[in-house]
Amino acid sequence: MGKPKIATVWLEGCAGCHMSFLDLDEVLIDILHQVELTVSPVTDYKDYCFPKVDLGIIEGGIGNEEQLEIVRHLRRQAKIIMTWGDCAVFGGINTLRNWIPKTEVLERGYVTSESTVNGVVPIHAEIPRLLDQVIAVNHVIAVDVYIPGCPPDPEVIAYSLTEILNGRLPVLPGEMIHFD
Amino acid sequence: MENTSTPVNITINGRELKVDEGTSILQAARQHGIYIPTLCHHEALSDYGGCRLCVVEIDGAPKLSASCVTPVRSGMTVVTENERITESRRTIVEFLFAERNHNCMFCPRSGNCELQRLAYELKMDHLTVSFSYKKFPSDITSPYMAMDHNRCILCGRCVRACTEIAGSHVLAFHHRGPKTMIGMDLQEERSHSTCLNCGVCLQVCPTGAIYNRLRSHYFVKGREHVCEKITTFCPLCGLMCPTDLLISNNQLIQVDGHLSRANGQPNQGQLCCKGRFQVFRSPAGRLLHPLVRKEDGDWVVANWQEALFLTVEKMKAIQVQKGEKALFGLASPMLPMEELILFRELMEKGLNAGYLDTFDGQHFRNLKGTFYGGAIPIRETSWKQVGKSDFILIAGGNPETSQPLLQSIFRRRFMETELRTGLISSLDDVPSFVTDFIHVPSNHLAELLRALLAEVDHLCKKEKQAGKTIGSSGSFPLLAGMGISRDAKSAFTSIARSIAEAENPLVIVDTSLTGMADSNSLNGVIDLARRITPSSKSEPNLLILKPEGNSAGAWKTGMVAQKVPDQADCLKGGLLLMGDESSMGEDILARIHAAEFLAVITPYAHKFLMDRAHVLIPKPTWLEADGTYMSLDGLEQLFRKKTIAPPEGVWATREILSAMGEQIDLKVSSKQEGLFKKRSDPLV
Ligand code: SF4
Ligand code: SF4
Ligand code: SF4
Ligand code: FES
Repeated sequence: MGKPKIATVWLEGCAGCHMSFLDLDEVLIDILHQVELTVSPVTDYKDYCFPKVDLGIIEGGIGNEEQLEIVRHLRRQAKIIMTWGDCAVFGGINTLRNWIPKTEVLERGYVTSESTVNGVVPIHAEIPRLLDQVIAVNHVIAVDVYIPGCPPDPEVIAYSLTEILNGRLPVLPGEMIHFD
Repeated sequence: MENTSTPVNITINGRELKVDEGTSILQAARQHGIYIPTLCHHEALSDYGGCRLCVVEIDGAPKLSASCVTPVRSGMTVVTENERITESRRTIVEFLFAERNHNCMFCPRSGNCELQRLAYELKMDHLTVSFSYKKFPSDITSPYMAMDHNRCILCGRCVRACTEIAGSHVLAFHHRGPKTMIGMDLQEERSHSTCLNCGVCLQVCPTGAIYNRLRSHYFVKGREHVCEKITTFCPLCGLMCPTDLLISNNQLIQVDGHLSRANGQPNQGQLCCKGRFQVFRSPAGRLLHPLVRKEDGDWVVANWQEALFLTVEKMKAIQVQKGEKALFGLASPMLPMEELILFRELMEKGLNAGYLDTFDGQHFRNLKGTFYGGAIPIRETSWKQVGKSDFILIAGGNPETSQPLLQSIFRRRFMETELRTGLISSLDDVPSFVTDFIHVPSNHLAELLRALLAEVDHLCKKEKQAGKTIGSSGSFPLLAGMGISRDAKSAFTSIARSIAEAENPLVIVDTSLTGMADSNSLNGVIDLARRITPSSKSEPNLLILKPEGNSAGAWKTGMVAQKVPDQADCLKGGLLLMGDESSMGEDILARIHAAEFLAVITPYAHKFLMDRAHVLIPKPTWLEADGTYMSLDGLEQLFRKKTIAPPEGVWATREILSAMGEQIDLKVSSKQEGLFKKRSDPLV
């Protein structure tokens, strides 16, 4: 049996969680020795037809139809799903738009913003449609591990990965949980 | 509570405890160091039993009980922690997060929030319920506090604090069910409500629903656990409220009152808007280097020695040229005693100044000009009597500007004990705690006070004769010519009666009266106070409010001029002005405009000083210096330590004054305490 396979996806989020992951310093090298990183923004792998993996990691909330598809597919392909960061866990800062009707959000973004001239809301078969609201991952698929934080500290990310590599499903102790 | 209560035996988590009857399970547990999480409970407030975070299991019952509102019962077995209880608590916290907007990353309270802390403690790493995303308004109409209803958990602490501590009854629950919101008055915005901006609601709010607009995000400037907490007092008025200051990176982050600690003050740890919020405001740009005005009128930065040398030389030159009394000194009564005494020594002994005064000197002189002030010193009672008196008469006006907190004390006491408060004023500003108001033109004030005294005398005599009060003295004819309304006449009778019937009435003289050179009225009010004081007391039931933070201290240093030169030729020679951050405003312009040479020692470069002064010397603010302050009744003096360091390079005030003294071979005394040791000396 080879090394455990990992896929990570970056949905509606700022990449801060992946930055925290890269911020692991030497520990990152240790971890990468122990796993096989398949699909990930880090590997710049843009095809979301994932292979079967042992661990699927999700950063970001679900804001459009493509993201919805990605998480559903990842759930099917991954044995364990871990959510990183407030966006994936709760919806996070993206949910700011949940207090505003979708049409208004699009209008503001593409038409009425101060720097826009003759703007239109883009509609195209290749552009995924926005969902009415941004949703947390566990409201769409079953999630096994939750690592909140905006972003989670590198130490917390390291803890979550090493626990899994040692065959345990991590549950964060109170002092490792934070929402900012 | 009486101490006669019998102890009760209970068991908490298997520990057998003896606790007083009537205590709640929560209190009993805390007394014995057993932790129970709470959210709507606050030590300084009554219990509400609303959040149910504090649930415990009693005698294995299937229904959990809120420990903060359940009294102990003999033989009771309590469990504070098991899976079922934790589950119940976590569910509550989950619902609170789902109900409104708790995206902590953009909340100013994050890192210092009780709800967040509980979520961590209960290991709430995700939500099992979905969010409501219901939009609530926020209210940013007050310059001091913002209220974001999207973060409110409806714990009701603010409502109880506003009622029980501030006595304001501004806040209440409005609407019903999921639409419930904390509202002000009849759903006003804060700026249009009767809110006093005392900020007690902000201090007790467990979340980021109410936050301070004059400081930024905790995340930017330092969270509570990385801040240094300094216990001190507020020197901004003569009440000297005890405070806790949070300091981070040499910056003031937060000011809290001692709500939960019995501090013996009638204000129960409450602070006012000045002490809690206005301290964050700078009146002008900070002065960081000494500035000297050149011949052509431009300012240049000077080094310290240069600027101080120039100031003293200029002063000496004016003296040589203009003779003996051509130098003047003017200082702020917000400054601590030590600074004022040094200033006085420098100006009086060192420079032989003709005249020395404080910004509020006129109040002192007006009091001195009364019969009592002139012949016999005016004694005053402790200000803490405001918490004990059974009738209060205020002469002059609303005490809001000088001692803002008094309003809250009176409001609260009115709710609790139906304390009646009379106000006699020539102004129309009638604060809400006043029960009897007489509007009287200022030229009739003295007369009215005499009539009141006669009426009280009369009522007391009657009382002695008949064993009860009846009728009136016939002083009404006196009132006829004073332009007093019918309503005011009944207020007159009511005030006279209340005074006659009260066991411990108190007369308060507001600064709007001491600010007027009206010795008849002042005599009248002092007479009245003496008349209503039981003969057994050594001090009259009289309290004279002081205009500024350390007015009493300043007056006690003896530096206030007994007489001032005519307005016309006032302060024409050399003037040294020593100011502070809050009381120095353009209103002193009239007193400084004629100065031939104006040197100012000040923390801030006010525009009006930049326009007129010749030398500007920076000084530390009150937070950046230590010093002794006196309570407004002159009975207490407190020393506060330096809280933060002044900007780099800025000399301490004492160094500045000593350096100026050395230049004229004046050894300013290092032992200063003796100068204001006799505490019981009257101020005036
Ligand atoms: S009030 Fe507390 S829990 Fe709510 S967003 Fe602010 S920090 Fe987070
Ligand atoms: S504003 Fe704060 S104190 Fe008031 S009910 Fe809401 S959360 Fe509680
Ligand atoms: S009442 Fe006076 S001492 Fe108390 S906080 Fe206000 S200004 Fe400061
Ligand atoms: S603390 Fe007891 S119910 Fe809120």
